[in-house]
Amino acid sequence: MKGRITVAAVALAALIAAGCGSSSSNTSSTSTSASSGSSGKKCTASIGIEAPITGKVAVLGDEQLAFAKMAVANDNKANGTDITLVQGDTQLTPSLATTVTQQFISNPKIVGVVGPAGSQEVEAVGPLFGRAGLAFISGSATKTTLTNGSNPTFFRVVSRDSVQGPEDANFIIKHFHPKALMIIDDQEAYSQGLVSVMMPIFQKAGIKVDHESVSQSVTDFSSLVAKITPQMTVAVLPWQVAANGEQFGKNLAEQHKKVTIVGTDGLYSPSSFTIPGSYVSSFGPDITAIPADASLVQQAKAAFPKFGTFGPPVYAATHVIDEAIASACKSGTPSRSNVLAAIKSTDEPSSILGQPIKFDSHGDLINAKWFLFHINSAGQYKLVTNS
Amino acid sequence: MRVFVQELVNGLTQGSVYALVALGYSMVYGVLKLLNFAHGDLYMVGAFIGYFVIQWFGGASALAAPVPIVLLAMFLLAGGGVGVLGVVIERFAYRPLRDAPRIAPLITALGVSFLLENTALLFFGGSYRIYNTSSFISFGTGIHIGVLSIDIVRIMVIVLAVVLMVGLRLVVNHTKLGRQMRAVAADREAAEMLGIDVDFTIGATFFLGSALAGISGVMAGLVYNSVWNYMGFTAGLYAFTAAVVGGIGSISGAVLGGLLIGLAQSFITGYVSSTYTDLIVFGILIAVMLVRPRGLLGRVQLQKV
Repeated sequence: MKGRITVAAVALAALIAAGCGSSSSNTSSTSTSASSGSSGKKCTASIGIEAPITGKVAVLGDEQLAFAKMAVANDNKANGTDITLVQGDTQLTPSLATTVTQQFISNPKIVGVVGPAGSQEVEAVGPLFGRAGLAFISGSATKTTLTNGSNPTFFRVVSRDSVQGPEDANFIIKHFHPKALMIIDDQEAYSQGLVSVMMPIFQKAGIKVDHESVSQSVTDFSSLVAKITPQMTVAVLPWQVAANGEQFGKNLAEQHKKVTIVGTDGLYSPSSFTIPGSYVSSFGPDITAIPADASLVQQAKAAFPKFGTFGPPVYAATHVIDEAIASACKSGTPSRSNVLAAIKSTDEPSSILGQPIKFDSHGDLINAKWFLFHINSAGQYKLVTNS
Repeated sequence: MRVFVQELVNGLTQGSVYALVALGYSMVYGVLKLLNFAHGDLYMVGAFIGYFVIQWFGGASALAAPVPIVLLAMFLLAGGGVGVLGVVIERFAYRPLRDAPRIAPLITALGVSFLLENTALLFFGGSYRIYNTSSFISFGTGIHIGVLSIDIVRIMVIVLAVVLMVGLRLVVNHTKLGRQMRAVAADREAAEMLGIDVDFTIGATFFLGSALAGISGVMAGLVYNSVWNYMGFTAGLYAFTAAVVGGIGSISGAVLGGLLIGLAQSFITGYVSSTYTDLIVFGILIAVMLVRPRGLLGRVQLQKV
């Protein structure tokens, strides 16, 4: 009996030691500080990044992470700071995002967070960040209600669905004049939010709308595609998983359905969604077409050759926090409160996004733009229009 | 009519994949009374093997061998490889727990499932891998007569599934190994006393069931294009449902259950709404269980008193 108690006590002690020790399997640290000079002590701080580094949209998370690392490296060099990036993998799920958020909040070195990527994640973690007074800036969460006041420390460097949704819907009406269309949500907050914005616009234009709903885990859309009638000339896919969009397009081809796919930013992925003739809207520009971004594009291609529009906004978000930390460093030690205050008063005249960065009182980017791309027969994305 | 025929084709394709995975569940349950929750992940491993065979032959757009050779290699390597993996799992994860309380191997099976998923994540990453079937098999090839339009890939999946199911039935009912499998399923102790090598028989059962799961993984890759490390969870859930609806332990039941689930998903999506597909499919499961707890083709278990 005594022996068993001893063994149990040792096991418990080992467990406690492991828990107090290194960070969990979902977080890892990446130090991206510039090479230290011999003079002066650098201002140090940590930034957390919540991204879907693994899971259904890992390709986007990898892109976001690559651009965040780039931003930290460039800003450390420019500002003489020693900022460390702490990774948190959320797999685009609210439950994991919550776990990662709690880990970040309990790390006193983290004074700002980039991400999370998905609107459903922001809904889950916003209150936690708010209570902790920790600023977090997303480069891809677009649901309109995220900035209605319930997430006081949330900011975003992209446009909202209230911009993207109506712009997409009006483009479809103006250019395709469909008599009927199918719009399919993927049962997540982001997708359902966009559908709720777009459907009234279609219905008001007298278009017959077939609203369907499929889980992100579904990978065969043959049954849905079979429902598409000859009158339906457009399929609207406000989805987060680009590979699913690709499969939908293949199912359309299998059944010889002549339907144009119009996707939203979740489908923007030059490596995963390449159905010719499709249209994809995005909150982010094609930075290869912005002359001022030439050197950043070179850097980005070296770090992540096939990047799309998810990386640049995260670069912008990380840069905002880096600058806020640098500003706080000038007057003392960066803390969550002074970094938050500095972010609120951000006023960058230019950025990687090709526009100034300044936030309104709700945390939205002022004059955020929306971009629409067409996929040509070679599977390349070409800008069609932007707001 | 066109919609009906298309949904029928979709349902048969989907159902064939579920049926092959469900067969493995039923076979293992039959001999060991174990619900192998790692079975869906064997399907995932098979899908990945198929993907890497395509890459080994030069990639979907530039295959270095004729398509039939590549397909044969995919099925053989996936079936054989996953079959061996199934035997290894049985040997090290389940055999030591053969006489343990039933909860122990069940928990172990869950652990094996997580192990397979995360090992795949470690080695292959989290991104979707794409078969890009249309690059080497044209959608235009197939049967396109009137309202019937079915491409060659779906024809191949359905035909191969039927061949495998018939083949399995022949093995179970007309071979020495099949007799041994049935004997072990009926009474393991008695089978051992009669001189049957129980370990070998159970190992062979795992090999066959796992091979079927691996082959169905390749089929899923060819039809649905995307493979990723968590794909086995959903497929395993539906296949398990199919095995239970059909009658766990019954080979015919697994086939019937698989086809029923596949067709139900397809027709509900086509004629009701995709939003309610899972609701109705699992509603069917509950209804069948309430009316016929042993499943549609399951046998009543006799107990000696």
